[in-house]
Amino acid sequence: MERLIEILEDIQPAADYETCTTLIDDHILDSMAIIALVAEIEDEFDITIPTVEIIPANFNSAQAMYDMITRLQEEE
Amino acid sequence: MSSFFSILYVLVFLPSVVILYNIFPKKYRPIVLLVGSYIFFWSMSGKLLVYLLFSTLSVHHIGLWLTNLQSERNLKLKEVEKSEKKELKGLYQKKQRRVVLFGVLLHIGILLAVKYTPFFTENINSLFGVLNIPITLDIPKIMMPIGISFYTLQAVSYIFDVYREIISADRNLLKIALYMGFFPQIMEGPICRYSETAHILCEGERTSYQGLTMGIQRILYGMLKKIVVADRLNSLIKTVFDNYSQYDGGIIVVAAVCYTLQLYMEFSGTMDLVIGTAQIFNVKLPENFRQPFFSKTVSEFWSRWHITLGIFFKDYIFYPLSMSKPLKKLTTKARKLVGNHLGPLVAGAVALFCVWICNGLWHGAGWNYIFFGMYHFVLILTGNIVEPYAKKLLERLHVKKKGVAYHTFSVVRTVILVVIGEMFFRANGLRAGMSMFKNMITNFSLASFSDGTILTLGMDAQDFMIVGITVAIVMVISILKEKDVSVREGIAKRNLVLRWSIYYALIIFIVIFGAYGRGYVPVDPIYANF
Repeated sequence: MERLIEILEDIQPAADYETCTTLIDDHILDSMAIIALVAEIEDEFDITIPTVEIIPANFNSAQAMYDMITRLQEEE
Repeated sequence: MSSFFSILYVLVFLPSVVILYNIFPKKYRPIVLLVGSYIFFWSMSGKLLVYLLFSTLSVHHIGLWLTNLQSERNLKLKEVEKSEKKELKGLYQKKQRRVVLFGVLLHIGILLAVKYTPFFTENINSLFGVLNIPITLDIPKIMMPIGISFYTLQAVSYIFDVYREIISADRNLLKIALYMGFFPQIMEGPICRYSETAHILCEGERTSYQGLTMGIQRILYGMLKKIVVADRLNSLIKTVFDNYSQYDGGIIVVAAVCYTLQLYMEFSGTMDLVIGTAQIFNVKLPENFRQPFFSKTVSEFWSRWHITLGIFFKDYIFYPLSMSKPLKKLTTKARKLVGNHLGPLVAGAVALFCVWICNGLWHGAGWNYIFFGMYHFVLILTGNIVEPYAKKLLERLHVKKKGVAYHTFSVVRTVILVVIGEMFFRANGLRAGMSMFKNMITNFSLASFSDGTILTLGMDAQDFMIVGITVAIVMVISILKEKDVSVREGIAKRNLVLRWSIYYALIIFIVIFGAYGRGYVPVDPIYANF
């Protein structure tokens, strides 16, 4: 989780990733940030994020992203 | 039937379908809807109904083909060792991808052949001319079935959603046929996902009093926009766009603003009618507009205008492209080279370019549509590139980004950019659009307003007044919606006398001030031709 928050802060510093649950809904992460984020997460956690996973529910909070990463790691 | 706003549709066809739908037992109601839908399609496109039938059958078959492959894969996965699972998954993914490619090429191929053959042939002939090759190909005249641009995208989204296992392929052909051909949305959308509408379309719930009144209320609001405003503006727009060289920049600006207004009133008015009609059958369709003229950026505008098309492009073109392996690698490399801000924009720009070239071409086969797409691509990409620099500049100038002044400036700037884009969109070709734009800048004058020219373009002072009042009504309702105040629910909660007084006032307003009869030419369903 710590590494994920580091990645998020690197890509878009203007948010409190510990508490924010509306990263997509409030346009804190836009589509360009998502592109960077997916590439970094895949590299860091050695997973492939399929397009079907690119939905607001999976990117609205750091916790949701972490859950998705864990799930994809288990599936791989 | 010529459109949703024809007397035959509003007073005969729609009431007949509603009555029959409610007379029949629940299990036959989806059949009533489907027969109604095919009669509607036939009345518009005749024998071209065969295109819709073919697409429906092929989508049904391709969906089942994909699901069978997925079931086969799942069975085999249970039988093999863990180490072999990845390889097996990859093998079946390849097989599925071939089916998806076949399905998408088939449907997009039909669309391309029907819609773009004359455009491509014309351009090949021009190229032969430039290269001095003495060959001239005949430009074929191909009849286009109504709504092909809309139901084709629905077909593609169904195939992708089955492939991605968001939905399971449906064996029920009736359900797929209704999803593809439901009459209110066949002509101009909204573009729906299978998971959004297919199930509810086959529920066959009886029309409720609330559904009927709320549906009629929404239909009336759509008619107000279309018949009172969009149709009334038609003469002026046609006069100026057809004879643009005869007018100064001031008149061109008026025509460009009027066209943007007409496009909004026609398309959003039709969406009101479509969503209202579906509501009568207990079907909730997705919204296609969310007060677009309050947008602060062009990018935001496109997330509020034709929302379902934007979502389609984002989900089926932008993300799959930008998340493809080569572009992901490009993003990682570019981030290291040019930083966090510009890095993702490199891959993003490639995906965005594809989205906007498709968006332009989807709207029509012509260079002005391609220009329209590229115009928005440049605006949105520029907006993304300069965003952090603009933020820093505003901070240095002590301008509050959330302040009223900057907000107003952003909204007005966006409206101006949109109006210019729509002018190119409506112009009779790219050359005409360029000439109009040049005229707007270099030959701007207010003389036509003082010498009375403005009143000779097909609209008199009374027409301008009626348009002004109606636009003001729509604007007030939009402001309230923007502030999360639901005018529709508010009216529905009033007592019977007040509620029906408002409905009757609306009907009388449309009947008296609607632009129909001698001297008026109603605007064709603009988006139905895309």
